[in-house]
Amino acid sequence: MSTGAGSAALEAVAASEGPKAGETRALPRVALVGPPNSGKSTLFNRLTGLRQRVANYPGVTVERKLGLASLATGPVEVVDLPGVHGLSPRSLDQMITRDVLLGKLDGSESPDAVILVLDATRLEAHLMLAEPVLGLGLPTLVVLTMADELERRDGALRASALSGELGVPIALVNARSDESLGPVRRFMEAVRAGGDEARSCPAGVLAALSSGTSAHGRPLPVVDLFAERRKRARKIGRSAGFQPPRQSRLTRRLDAVLLHRVWGLLAFLAVVVVVFQSIFAGAVPLMDGVEALVAGSGEYLAAVLPSGWFRSLLVDGVWAGVGSVVVFLPQILVLFFFIAVMEESGYMARAAVITDRLMHRVGLQGASFLPLLSAYACAIPAIMSARTVESERDRIATIFVAPFMTCSARLPVYALLIAAFVPEGPFLGPILGQRAAVLLGLYALGLVAAVGTAALLKSTILRGAPAPFVMELPPYRWPTVRSIATRLLGRTKVFLRRAGKIILSATVVLWVLTQVPRTPEGEAPATDDSAIGRIGQTIEPAIEPLGFDWRIGVGIVTSLAAREVIVGTLGTIYGVEDPDETTINLQDALRRDLDLGSAVALLVFFVFALQCMSTVAVMRRETGGWRWPALQFAYMLALAYAGAWTANAVL
Amino acid sequence: MTNKRRDTAIKEAERMLADVPLEEEVVLVRIDMAGDELEPLLERGIVPGCKLCPVRHAPAGNPTVYSVDGALVALRRETASCLCVRSALEAAGVLDPN
Repeated sequence: MSTGAGSAALEAVAASEGPKAGETRALPRVALVGPPNSGKSTLFNRLTGLRQRVANYPGVTVERKLGLASLATGPVEVVDLPGVHGLSPRSLDQMITRDVLLGKLDGSESPDAVILVLDATRLEAHLMLAEPVLGLGLPTLVVLTMADELERRDGALRASALSGELGVPIALVNARSDESLGPVRRFMEAVRAGGDEARSCPAGVLAALSSGTSAHGRPLPVVDLFAERRKRARKIGRSAGFQPPRQSRLTRRLDAVLLHRVWGLLAFLAVVVVVFQSIFAGAVPLMDGVEALVAGSGEYLAAVLPSGWFRSLLVDGVWAGVGSVVVFLPQILVLFFFIAVMEESGYMARAAVITDRLMHRVGLQGASFLPLLSAYACAIPAIMSARTVESERDRIATIFVAPFMTCSARLPVYALLIAAFVPEGPFLGPILGQRAAVLLGLYALGLVAAVGTAALLKSTILRGAPAPFVMELPPYRWPTVRSIATRLLGRTKVFLRRAGKIILSATVVLWVLTQVPRTPEGEAPATDDSAIGRIGQTIEPAIEPLGFDWRIGVGIVTSLAAREVIVGTLGTIYGVEDPDETTINLQDALRRDLDLGSAVALLVFFVFALQCMSTVAVMRRETGGWRWPALQFAYMLALAYAGAWTANAVL
Repeated sequence: MTNKRRDTAIKEAERMLADVPLEEEVVLVRIDMAGDELEPLLERGIVPGCKLCPVRHAPAGNPTVYSVDGALVALRRETASCLCVRSALEAAGVLDPN
């Protein structure tokens, strides 16, 4: 294998330097396009490192992610587009990709160049995407990933011949060698330098790329269109000396176990137990560390700052509020670590195959499994990744039930209440502790609600014939430390920014509300008489049947913005109530105010209620109106209230 | 005449993918499905003429994993029941004009 032709073509592009006429955009922009599992996101991470924006959404690439690639000659903006198999308007992801490439989205211009990422081991199938993308006429570099794997599995490919066939430069990239990125960087440098030739349409196949019409000018039926495209892709592959690799032996052996009738199920259950046990037990030392750090720095601040309102704001408001949420960062990172490992290793798709029967029975499809699984991290990326569900009815149903899955924002609330009310101790021998078992139960409750709701929807307002299920199983691969680290760092940034913005402002506003109105002596009021106390007492009748007092009520109201805010809110309220204690013990305070029944009621309320404004906003955007989010908010609130009332009444 | 006999032979050898036993390689003849639902299959290279081979069933028996052009794709039984195939060996024998 050689990158000779690729580099030569790159030099040709680079040679035609010159200022671009009418250049108004600050930075040249390159778009990454490729099928799912082609290694596109990995390439994006390697090109841009941590200089990424909209890292907002974890897991799979669900939206345009922007990053900066530093080159020898300066930075280039890189856009990571969703993984697609084509540019048909049938699916949302494909439409977005096409609109970005055509410069139709958000009124932005089309990118200066395209990097088309294809998996070398699946060259012929992936070349089917090359046709519509090259047909756009943008300067394009084709990056073939997994080139080393192709060779290892006895496949072959002449990159120079492929470059000649396609009329665009080719770069071969290996997962672990940074040198192989050289041609990609040189291509981007050439794009940065601009020049007319970098603008010209790729020749070669362009002429052969029909736009869905036969030789006689009649539109072809869709099957023939793809069959023809497949034939041309095969012909190009043959001319480039492409020899498909043999089946990965590792994948075959692992599948024999992981999809086995008995072992496969056991392995799946083991994975689920390990994930939950790690989230609850494994993350504890890390959380203790963060807690000690927050408490220590709070005490230090309290000691060095002069007594007064500023110290109260900083220590009782900000430190108690934000600190009580930041403590949960390790737990959330452990969850994201497992999601990342499962996605990158290829196990996630197997899990989807294992659970499909069940998903199908409740009226969803296997493709809904990935969004629903990422909803365990956060409903927002889940709702967006539901775009990959190709049937509109199934997509809406998936979106509707996603917020029932236990997202990471619920974890701080669950963790706090479980730690306060569930004693430590073994439940299932040494494997599963009591606390982890309760946590598992809460996850199960959310799942049951999701399943029941899906079945209800699909038998009523979303009734219809089931859509076909096509799930690709990528070969197993070792996840790289680098890509997992990049994802976790991205998550940390998002979490801290959230804690910084939403939770910080919420706790500051709350702290102010605990400080007014001042007593006649000009001192802070008792919390019962403060503005927040009065607000809380006003809503108390509504929540009293659930066993909550006004403090919890205020927490529930503030948590409508984001669930975990309740922890910060309670941290602030109790922190102000006990100004003498430098570190407040939320668990003790809660044990004072809640009995077992009302604690369970609060947990149940959080399992069901849609307390997340970002989710509502994303849902409005993805479903194109207020109808679905409004229905969902009301439905989930009713369920939460009824569930909490029942729990409090029974226990 | 020859053409007609050949057509009959093909017809007789046609089966649905869902009925193909594990490890038997087959060639896709046509897809009995409506236009919109087809595309997810087509863009993944499941087009008439491609080779398919059932590799293993999911633990619950459904879906089944097929190898398609060296990749693995899982299809549910009802989807596989819409894919009309014939044996790869037979296809080579019957259709090879030489």
